[in-house]
Amino acid sequence: MKYIKDHIMFIFPMLAILFGIESFIVFDRMSKSYEQELRADYSMLVLTSKPMELSRFKKLDGSISSVDIMEKRSIVEEMAKGMSGISAEDIMQSLPYFYTVHLGKYLDAKAIEKIRGKLIASEDIKSVETFDQSHNSSYNLFLFIKIVLWVFVGFMTLSSLFLVIKQMEIWQFSHKERMQVMEIFGASTMLRSGILFKRAIIDAVMATILTSALFAFLRFVWVERSNIEILTKNKKLLFEYQDIAILGSIAMLIVIVAVTIVVVGNREGKL
Amino acid sequence: MANIISASHLTLGYSNNDVDIIKNANFKIKKGDFVFITGPSGSGKSTLLRSFYGQLRPTSGNLLVGAQDMSKISKKKLQELRTHFGIIFQDYKLINEWSVAKNVVLPLIIAGYNVDMQETQAKRLLKHVKLSEHADRLPLELSGGEQQRIGVARALAKNPTLILADEPTGNLDEYSSNVIWDLMENANEQLDATVVVVTHRIPNIFSIPYRHLIIENKGIYEVH
Ligand SMILES: Nc1ncnc2c1ncn2[C@@H]1O[C@H](COP(=O)(O)OP(=O)(O)OP(=O)(O)O)[C@@H](O)[C@H]1O
Ligand SMILES: [Mg+2]
Repeated sequence: MKYIKDHIMFIFPMLAILFGIESFIVFDRMSKSYEQELRADYSMLVLTSKPMELSRFKKLDGSISSVDIMEKRSIVEEMAKGMSGISAEDIMQSLPYFYTVHLGKYLDAKAIEKIRGKLIASEDIKSVETFDQSHNSSYNLFLFIKIVLWVFVGFMTLSSLFLVIKQMEIWQFSHKERMQVMEIFGASTMLRSGILFKRAIIDAVMATILTSALFAFLRFVWVERSNIEILTKNKKLLFEYQDIAILGSIAMLIVIVAVTIVVVGNREGKL
Repeated sequence: MANIISASHLTLGYSNNDVDIIKNANFKIKKGDFVFITGPSGSGKSTLLRSFYGQLRPTSGNLLVGAQDMSKISKKKLQELRTHFGIIFQDYKLINEWSVAKNVVLPLIIAGYNVDMQETQAKRLLKHVKLSEHADRLPLELSGGEQQRIGVARALAKNPTLILADEPTGNLDEYSSNVIWDLMENANEQLDATVVVVTHRIPNIFSIPYRHLIIENKGIYEVH
């Protein structure tokens, strides 16, 4: 009973840390994928007096990844039918060229304003429409959530780390007698702390498995049943196998740091 | 033969206490010696042994153990030195969450022996101290005298070059005491171990030559 309690007292804060970190990983993945979607959707409208190649746009700003020219002939021909004396060619001549410009990475309003400035400075470009309003607010919301999550996870990790170290000290205390006897018989620090390490590593592995299992369950079972469309669509983002490795390494790091703190802080008592 | 312990003007005391326990003591223990140390309760017998295995550093004077200066021995050297000792404590100092058998082979665990070797040696040692049937029990389930014998078996586990024993028969009846004295004699004679034993009574029947040091008024003197 005491044995189980000892382990739970260590696994619990460990779980809290790993849960927080995994949540952050998942959110980061979701925001990246959302960014990608936004980027695919986002474009600027550029009006030019001459036809322009992608390379010329790129020279003006490196973040431009592709341009599509808007096909206007069919519309113009349609218009010309209704007007006598004006040929479609004439209209085509007088109209500027319309380009939809896509960006290679996701940028905030300020950066987009900068690009706009660069484009408009070119004498062939007559006008640039950025549609930055809607674009910016959703991005800001994402950034905000990300920062809040960072603070939350950071705080949780820190306070859980204290619990982990506290539990280690309790272990250390109950092992003190054994450690002292072993020391008098010439055991190295490593050997004396071995049991502490072994225990902590077992618990770290347990916490990693539990956290991974929880998120795997969310992805493979819960989401299917939930019928929440945005989640079903993005269920892959909820858990990836590499997360086990990330969580495992973090758990090990925490264990090593915690055991080291306890062992170093508890040298042989001088008489 | 060379000295294994040599003290000159040795003074011992505890940092939480200003009084000296041992003051200005001079003595030598040669390799292969069998030495009894006696003295009244509280005279500093356990304190002296502690200085031999480096748990207490000299306040002043000089103490050499196995060519190491105990005033300035490094942690690493001390660790190495201790693996050659077999220490028996007045209060046993067993690891209570370990089985009797595991306690006995602690020096072998520290030396990195494999589990098979540990088991074979545990059997042999427990037979010597007549505790074979208790191998799998926990120390606290045994009597004081039995626990003391675990401590003795542990001290002998790795053929130590120096045995430091603090009242090894303090809790034993005459029969068990004689078992222990036989083991000590044997370790000294057959295995060339130097033996230093603190005791309040030197056994009547002792078949090998021995020396007797006595602690009196903070000094250490040889009894001839
Ligand atoms: N850890 C300690 N801190 C301070 N003083 C101590 C400590 N251990 C022992 N002493 C003191 O040192 C003196 C000698 O103690 P020690 O245990 O060496 O006596 P001893 O000769 O072994 O006695 P006994 O025959 O009763 O075992 C005593 O006065 C004791 O109070
Ligand atoms: Mg004593």
